[in-house]
Amino acid sequence: MSKPLQDNICESQLFERLYKKHAKNLHDFLYYKFGDHLNPQDQVQEAFIKLWQNCSKIKPDKAKSYLFTTASNLTLNVLAHKKVVLKHTQQPQKHTTNVTPEFVLQEKEYHIKLQKAISNLTEAQRVAFLMNRIEGKRFKEIAELLDISVKGVEKRIYGALKKLREEIDEL
Amino acid sequence: MKREELIKKWLDNNLNTEEQNAFEQLEDYNDLIKMDATLKGFKAPEFSINQSYEALKPKLKPEQPASKQWLKPLLRIAAVLAIALSVYMYTSNLDTEVNTIIAEQTTIALPDNSTVELNANSSLSFNEKSWSDNREVKLNGEAFFKVAKGQKFDVITEEGIVSVLGTQFNVKQRESYFEVTCYEGLVGVTHNNKTIKLKPGHTFTFIDGKLLANEKENAVQPIWLHGESSFKSVALKHVIAEFENQYSIKIHTDQIDTSRLFTGSFTHNNLDLALKSVTIPLNLSYSISGKSILLKRE
Repeated sequence: MSKPLQDNICESQLFERLYKKHAKNLHDFLYYKFGDHLNPQDQVQEAFIKLWQNCSKIKPDKAKSYLFTTASNLTLNVLAHKKVVLKHTQQPQKHTTNVTPEFVLQEKEYHIKLQKAISNLTEAQRVAFLMNRIEGKRFKEIAELLDISVKGVEKRIYGALKKLREEIDEL
Repeated sequence: MKREELIKKWLDNNLNTEEQNAFEQLEDYNDLIKMDATLKGFKAPEFSINQSYEALKPKLKPEQPASKQWLKPLLRIAAVLAIALSVYMYTSNLDTEVNTIIAEQTTIALPDNSTVELNANSSLSFNEKSWSDNREVKLNGEAFFKVAKGQKFDVITEEGIVSVLGTQFNVKQRESYFEVTCYEGLVGVTHNNKTIKLKPGHTFTFIDGKLLANEKENAVQPIWLHGESSFKSVALKHVIAEFENQYSIKIHTDQIDTSRLFTGSFTHNNLDLALKSVTIPLNLSYSISGKSILLKRE
């Protein structure tokens, strides 16, 4: 595939391609990092508007890190380290037949424990871990998104898993 | 294979069948699977790329905002340059002006080494910038010119224009009094659209609308350069006016006839002597009170 030789992203078709490539990842990244205290959708839009305003100064291969940094900063400006509590959306239960009230209660307790444990992860751990577990991203993909090494991603994710298990056992 | 390795591979979705079996044999396999299933419930809200892009689109201005970013600083530089240039043009095209007050004389060197002696209560202006193209001075009052050889040299007065090549001449232009005396070279006087050529020693005198006879002058320089004003058959009012230029006094002439002609001179350095030299020949007397002098008939 031949790429057009462009040193900026002011061209609207190229910009649209960048949007489609990065918008979802950026959104998920923001959500897992900061929760929904601030509408991550709005932050994504803000970041892309900034990118467009500065399009002449940014090379296409730098667009991704620009977006992630900008969005992070935008969010950080407003968010003064609030506790991140992610909402749990009830999945449809598979074993509908043998649902006892006791089981439902246990499930609920387990959710709350997990939720607390997730809140106690560091931002870096939470982003890497949830991108992996929930969005199903491989270590390599996450490493590219966050501009860190695969080993670093592995460390964050395994560390997060360990921490979660320990906390749940304690509670 | 170590447990940690297996879990990491499971996390990275990288287990082969054999490893998968080993992983499933781990004691905490069920815990892991249970946690994993529950985790899925914490999924980020749905994000529709296409929908959100449509929402973003109107916020992206159609023109490329960056393309005009160079224009602003450029305009600033241009504005500064324009101001600097106009100030330079203004100041460099400004005429140089020299003024003398009553009882003051001064010498002015023009850009081409021509010199001008400016008599009292007179003003001379010229443009240094265009001097090489246009030797032109504006005179109001009396001045003696020593003009270096060169192109035409013009003295512009309200009464007329005096143009010369290289020469020495005196121009006196006071109220209803215009006198040009040539001391060296050739002087052309344009007055009322008529041009008169003056040879050395000749004087052009135009007083109260009348052209007076040209008389031969023998002096090399006008006498005022030596601290005297001299007149030949000039109405007294012009003598008085010149007197007031040389001494800062006010002369009252209500009681005398100022149209009488006066021939003679007065000094610039001694008021008493000067008054006497004017009054005695005309049989007048004077009385001084402060800065004002009253002239009376004897």
